[in-house]
Amino acid sequence: MGAINLQQLLESQQLERCPFPIPAGWFFVDWSSSLATEEVRNVYIFGQEWVLFRSESGKVGMTDPYCPHLGAHIGHGGKVVGENIRCPFHHWEYDPEGWCKKIPYGKVAPPITKKQAILRTLPVVEKYGQIWAWYHPKCEAPSWELPYIPEMEDAEGWSGDRHGSWTASTAIQEIAENGVDFAHLKFLHGAEQIPPAEVKFDGHIIDIDMAQGYIVGRGYGPGLNVFYFTQNGVSATMISYTQPIDLDKSQMNMSFRYKDYPEGSQELTIAKKIVDHMIGEAEGEESAGFESVDFIVWNHKKYRPNPLLCDGDGPVLQFRKWFKQFYITDDKELLEKI
Amino acid sequence: MPKVEVTTRDGSRRTLEAAGGSPLMEVLRDADTGVEGTCGGMCSCGTCHVYVAAEWASRLPERSDDEAMMLEALQDFVELRPGSRLACQIEFDDQLSGISVEIAPEA
Repeated sequence: MGAINLQQLLESQQLERCPFPIPAGWFFVDWSSSLATEEVRNVYIFGQEWVLFRSESGKVGMTDPYCPHLGAHIGHGGKVVGENIRCPFHHWEYDPEGWCKKIPYGKVAPPITKKQAILRTLPVVEKYGQIWAWYHPKCEAPSWELPYIPEMEDAEGWSGDRHGSWTASTAIQEIAENGVDFAHLKFLHGAEQIPPAEVKFDGHIIDIDMAQGYIVGRGYGPGLNVFYFTQNGVSATMISYTQPIDLDKSQMNMSFRYKDYPEGSQELTIAKKIVDHMIGEAEGEESAGFESVDFIVWNHKKYRPNPLLCDGDGPVLQFRKWFKQFYITDDKELLEKI
Repeated sequence: MPKVEVTTRDGSRRTLEAAGGSPLMEVLRDADTGVEGTCGGMCSCGTCHVYVAAEWASRLPERSDDEAMMLEALQDFVELRPGSRLACQIEFDDQLSGISVEIAPEA
C-alpha cells in the first residue's frame, strides 16, 4: 500500500455549493397577463432587483432600478408616462431600451444621452404568453432567438393547463446537469434501468434522446428546455423554464401540454398520466418524477469540478463544457474552477 | 502662483491667481466668474464653456470625444469658436500661467 491520496479525502472541505456566475441567455420573467398596462413592479432575478413596467402601448421594459442621474430607485415611486418610465426624483424619463427621452429642466442634454442608452435595460420579448428577458453580464445583444413552440403559441390544437413552480436552493447548471445524468434515473428515481441515451451539443442547443424516443428533449441555452415524453404513441410536452434568481437559488417553472385529445378518450388519459409522471409519482409507475426526489440532492450537494465518474455515467463533462459558454466573465480562475 | 486672464460675461476683465494642479474650471468657478461646473468634469453639463484666446488654444491638448460632443450639443444654444473649450478639461498649472479666456454665454 502506498501513501493515501489525501486530496481525495479532504477535497470536499474546499468545495462550494454554487461557484457559478449567473449564465447569459433568455430567461422567463413572468406571465404576460400578470403585468398590466402602465404597471410598475420590482422583480428579483439574476442576482439583483429590476424594475419591470408596461408602457401605455403595451411594451414591456425591464430596467436596472437606479436612475443614472442621482441614483433614485425607479421602482419605488416611478411612473409610466406614455412609452417611458419616469424616475420619481427629478422626472427624468427612459424608454424600454434605456434611452433617456426627457430631462424636464435641463436645456442641453448630456451628450451621452444622444449616443447610447444610459439606463441598463434587458432586451425583452413576449412569447408563449410570457415575458422573457435576455440576460448578459456585459449587456451584449441576444446571440440567438427563442424558438417557436407550437404547444405554447398556437391558438388551437393543444391543451393542458397545468403549470408548476418550484424553488431549488442551487444554481441552474446543477439542475440542468441531471438531464445528462442518466444513471441517477435508475437509482434516485427508481427507473427500471439506466436508459440508453444520446446527447448532442450544437451551439446554444443541447439535444437529448432517452430510451429511443421515450424522452426527447432540447435545451435552448440555460433557461429553456422542451421535453417530449411518449408512451403508447401518445406524447406530452414539458416546457421547462428555470430562472436564476441568485447564485444559489433557482426557480424552476414548467408548463405541461399535450394535443387537444377529445374528452374521455384513451389518449387524453395517457397524456394526463404522462404529465403526472413527469412531476411526481404517477399511479402504477415505478419511477418517481423530479418533485419527489431531485430536490433533496440539489438542495444539499456541493459541486465537484473534478468528479469521480465511472463507466455507465452520462456525458456530464461534455455537458459542463457546453454550459461554460454561458458564463461571461473575465475571471479566468473562476472559469477554471467550474 | 500661475495666473489666468479672464473676460467675464459683462465684458469686465480680471486677473486670477490660483495654485496649479486643479482643473481650470475649478479656478474659474471658485472665483465667481459665472462658470458653474455642475457635472464636475464629466463633460455632461456644458456650464464651464470658455473661449480660449487663439495663442493659448493651440497650446492645449486636443479635445476628447466627450468634450467635442458636449461642445457640439452647446452650439444649438451659444456661439462656438475655434477656441471653445470646457474648462473642466484643462488642467491648470504653471505652464498655463497667463492663459487668457473669455467666459462663454449660458446656454
